[in-house]
Amino acid sequence: MKVQLENITLAYGEATAIDRLSVTVEDGESLVLLGKSGCGKTSTMRCVAGLETPTGGRITIGDTVVFDGERGVRVAPNKRNVGMVFQSYAVWPHRTIFQNVAFPLQQQRLPKAEIRERVADVLALVGLTEYAERGASLLSGGQMQRVALARSLVMRPSVLLLDEPLSNLDARLRDRLRVELREIQQRLGLTCVYVTHDQSEALALADRIALMQGGRIVQIDRPEKIYDAPSSAAIADFLGVSNIFPCAPAGPGSAPATYRLTGHATEVTSDTPAAGTGKDPRVCIRPEDIRLTGEPATGANSWPGRVDVVSFQGSYVRYRVSLKDGPELDAVVPRRATRMLDVGTPVWASADPDAVQILPAEVPA
Amino acid sequence: MSTLLIRIRRGLPTSVLLLILGVLVIVPMLFIALAAFSSETPRPGSIGLSGLSLDNFAIFGSSQALGAVGNSLLVAGSASVLALAIGCGLAFLAARTDTPGRRFLYFAGIAPMFLPSLVGALAWSLLGSPATGFLNLLLHSVGLNITVNIYSMPGLIMVLALYYAPYAFLLVHGALSLMNPDLEEAAFVHGGTRRRTLRRVTFPLALPAVLGSGILIFALTMENFPVAQVIGNPAQIDTLPSFIYRLMNASPSRGNEAAAVAIVLTGVLLIVTAIQQRAVLRRKFTTVTGKGVKPKKVPLGRWRLPAFAAAVLYFVLAVVLPLGALLIASLQNSPYVASLGQLTEPGALSFYALGELITSDDFLQAARNSVLTAVLAGLIGTALSFGLAYTVYRTGAAGRRVLEFAAMAPLAVPAIVLGLGLLWTWLVVPLPVYGTVVVLIVAFLAVFLPQSYRGVSASILQVDRDLEDSAVLLGAHRTKAVTKVTLPLMRVGMVSTLLLLLMLCMRELSAALFLFTSDTRLLSILIFDNYDNGAMQGAASVSLLYCGVIGVIALLAKSLGARTVDGAR
Repeated sequence: MKVQLENITLAYGEATAIDRLSVTVEDGESLVLLGKSGCGKTSTMRCVAGLETPTGGRITIGDTVVFDGERGVRVAPNKRNVGMVFQSYAVWPHRTIFQNVAFPLQQQRLPKAEIRERVADVLALVGLTEYAERGASLLSGGQMQRVALARSLVMRPSVLLLDEPLSNLDARLRDRLRVELREIQQRLGLTCVYVTHDQSEALALADRIALMQGGRIVQIDRPEKIYDAPSSAAIADFLGVSNIFPCAPAGPGSAPATYRLTGHATEVTSDTPAAGTGKDPRVCIRPEDIRLTGEPATGANSWPGRVDVVSFQGSYVRYRVSLKDGPELDAVVPRRATRMLDVGTPVWASADPDAVQILPAEVPA
Repeated sequence: MSTLLIRIRRGLPTSVLLLILGVLVIVPMLFIALAAFSSETPRPGSIGLSGLSLDNFAIFGSSQALGAVGNSLLVAGSASVLALAIGCGLAFLAARTDTPGRRFLYFAGIAPMFLPSLVGALAWSLLGSPATGFLNLLLHSVGLNITVNIYSMPGLIMVLALYYAPYAFLLVHGALSLMNPDLEEAAFVHGGTRRRTLRRVTFPLALPAVLGSGILIFALTMENFPVAQVIGNPAQIDTLPSFIYRLMNASPSRGNEAAAVAIVLTGVLLIVTAIQQRAVLRRKFTTVTGKGVKPKKVPLGRWRLPAFAAAVLYFVLAVVLPLGALLIASLQNSPYVASLGQLTEPGALSFYALGELITSDDFLQAARNSVLTAVLAGLIGTALSFGLAYTVYRTGAAGRRVLEFAAMAPLAVPAIVLGLGLLWTWLVVPLPVYGTVVVLIVAFLAVFLPQSYRGVSASILQVDRDLEDSAVLLGAHRTKAVTKVTLPLMRVGMVSTLLLLLMLCMRELSAALFLFTSDTRLLSILIFDNYDNGAMQGAASVSLLYCGVIGVIALLAKSLGARTVDGAR
C-alpha cells in the first residue's frame, strides 16, 4: 500500500533526529533510505512502524492516517499491519520456527488449519520447509534472516520495513540474499522501505533511493540516476567516487570548462554543466572512468604519473597513481583490459571530459 | 483521545512506582532526618517541623560516640584490607595458577558466603571466648598456656574479614578468569616475561574489580551489626551500628540521638558508595570478554602445596571450625564445658536438645515467619523490580532516572537505619501494619531493592528490545508481547533474582531488629534473642538448622542458574 510521510519531525530534547521529512512510497515500490549512521534513516523507519512517536507531522498507510501530530492520532504498532525485519532479526529463541512464523496469525485468531497452511506456504517461499519444528536458537545467520522475513510476510503486511537486514551476514551470503529479497519483493508486489548504509545494497534493491543527511532527504531518485548524477560531492563520495578534489575555474564558465585543482598544477576539463556549484566546487571522477595507458591519450585530461600501489582484486585491479605535480588518483581497471602494471611504472592517466563532474561540496539540506 | 488523557495514562505507571518507592525508601529516611533534628521521635500526633535543632548532634561530643566513629572506620578499614588480601589471593590461586584442587579452591572461596555473619560471629564466640572457648580448651588441654581472645579488636576484624572475603573473591575471580588471553599473549609476544606481564598487564586489568570489591566490603563491614554486637559488645568496642542499637535499647530509649548517629553513618556510607560507583564507572575496561576463554596458568613450582595449604586454612577458619563449634554446642548436654575431656564422656553429646528445639513452638513459629516473609518479599520484590526495570529501560517515561536513583538509594543506607526509619513510618501511618509480618516484608523489600533491581535490569538488558517490538509489530498488544516474549526470555534472570532475594531475606537480622514483635520473630531474630539471653545452646542449634535452609536455597539456585536460554543476547 502507498505510504505517505508529511513533514515528519522527531526530536529528542535538543537533538533533532528527523527534520520536516516528507516522502511518498508508491504501492508496490521499494524505497531505500541510504545514509551514514546517525542520519535519521532508522528513526524514520521506526516512526512508520510506530515504535517511535514523531514530534509532529503525519503518516498515512493506504487510506489510514496512523499518525497525526496535530489531531492527536496515534495508531498502536500492533494495529498498523506493518511488517519489519530487524537488523538483529529478533527471532525468538524460545520458540520453534513454526511458532515464530505463526505468531502474527495467532494474534489475528485465525483458525488453526489456515495458520498451518499459510505458514507452510511462506516457509516454502523462503526455503525453510524442513526446518519448521527446529528450535530457533540453533539457526545460522542466514536462516534467522529468512525466519524474520517469513514472519513478516505471513501477515501480508501493508508495508514491509527492513532495517539493514543483510549487514550481519558474510559477503557471499549477502550477495545471494540480496537477489532473493529483490525477487520476493517484485513477485509479491510488496511495498518496501529498506534502510541501509551500503551503497551497493541500495543500488541492487531500490526502485528509488532516498539519500539522507542530518535528518533530511538530500536527493531522491532512481538508482541509476543517482549513480550517474549525484547532486553533491558528499553524495558522490558515499556512492564510491574516490577521486574528489577541491578546484577553481581556470577559464570561461561555459562547458566544456577547465578547472585547476586547488594546490596543484593539474588542470581538468569537464563536459558536464557546472550549474549551481556554488563557492566550493569539487572535481569528481569515478575510479573506473580513469584509463591508464603507456602513451598520452588524445584530447583533454591526460596526465603523466607513476604507479604507487597495485592491489589485485580478482575481476579487476585497483591502482593508485601519483600524478606529476598533482594529487594521487584511484583507478580501477578490468583485469583483462591490460596486462598488470608494476609499482613504479610511469603511466598516463586519462578521463573523458563527460566522465568528469563538477559538483558542490554539499547541497543545502 | 485528548493529549491530556494520553499524558495521564502514560505517566500513571511511573507515578505508582514512585509512590511505592516513596513509602519504601524515601519516607523512612525523611523520618530519620526529622527525628535527628527534633526532640521527639515521630509518633502519631507529634509530627511537626517545630522545635528543630541540632541538639541531638551534641552526642558527638561524648567520648562514646567519637569512639564509635573511630572504631567503625578502623574496623571497616582493616577488615576490608584483610578481606581483600584473602579474597584476591584465593581468586588468583583458583583462576590463574596450577595449585591443585581448583574446584575446592573455588568452593572455599565462596562457601563462607552461605554462613550469615551473625552465625559466623556466634560460632567464633563459641570458639574463641577467653574463658570457655573450644579453641582455648583445646590449647589448654594440650598444655599450651596461650589464650585466644576473640573479644578484641583483632578478633572483630578477623571475623568480619573471614565472612566478607568471598565478595572480593567472586568479583576478582570473575575478572581474572574472563580476561581475554590475547591481551596477555600480546605482552609475551612483545617480549614481556611472565612476571612482568602479570605486573604490567594482568593485575592492572583486574584492578577495577579489586578496587570495586574493596570499597563494597568497606561499606558492608561499616554497616554490619551482628558481628559488631556479638564480638564487639563483650570487648566493649562500640561501632556505629551497635551504638545505634544501644541508644535505642537504653531506657528510656534515646531515639533522637540514635537518629543523629544514623544520619552520620548514612553520610559516611553515601560518600563511600558514591566513590565506589564512580570507580566502577570510570575504570571499566572493555577487555573483559564473556567468551569461554581459557587463560594461561602460572606455574607455582614448589609453592603449589603451601598455596593449597593457605586455602585450606581459610576454609577451616571460616567454615569447618565454626560449623564444628555449632554442632558440638547444640549437641552437648551440660550447658558449660570446662574442658574438652568432658565432651568425650558417655552421654555428654545427644540429639535430645536439638530434637526438643525443632519441635518447639518458638522454633516452628520463627521458621514459618522466616519462610513466609522471605517468599513473599522475594515474589513481590522481583515483580516490583521488573516493573521498575521495564519502566527505566523500555519506556520513555518521564522521571525514570528518578526511579532508578530511588531504587538504588538503599545501597547507601545501612539496614539498621532503614529499619529504624520504617519503625517510625509505620507507627505513624494509620494502617494496621506495624507488629505484623507485613512490616518485615516491607523492610526486606526496601533493604534489598538495589540487589533485586540490579539483577532484573541486567537480565532485561540481555533481552534485545527488538524481540519484544517485533511481537508488537506482528499484531500483539504490548502486554501480550511482554508475557509471551520478554518474560519467558528473562526466566532465568527472574528466578535467580527471586532466589537471591530469598537467601538475603532468610539471612537478614539488622533490618528486622526494631520491627519484630513476639509473634513475628524470624529465625535470625530467634538466634539473636537466644544469644542475647545467654542461651548459647539454643542459638547454636537454630544457627545450624538455619545454615541448612540457606544451603538448600543455594543449591536450588545453582541448579537453576546453570540452565540458560540460548540466543537471549
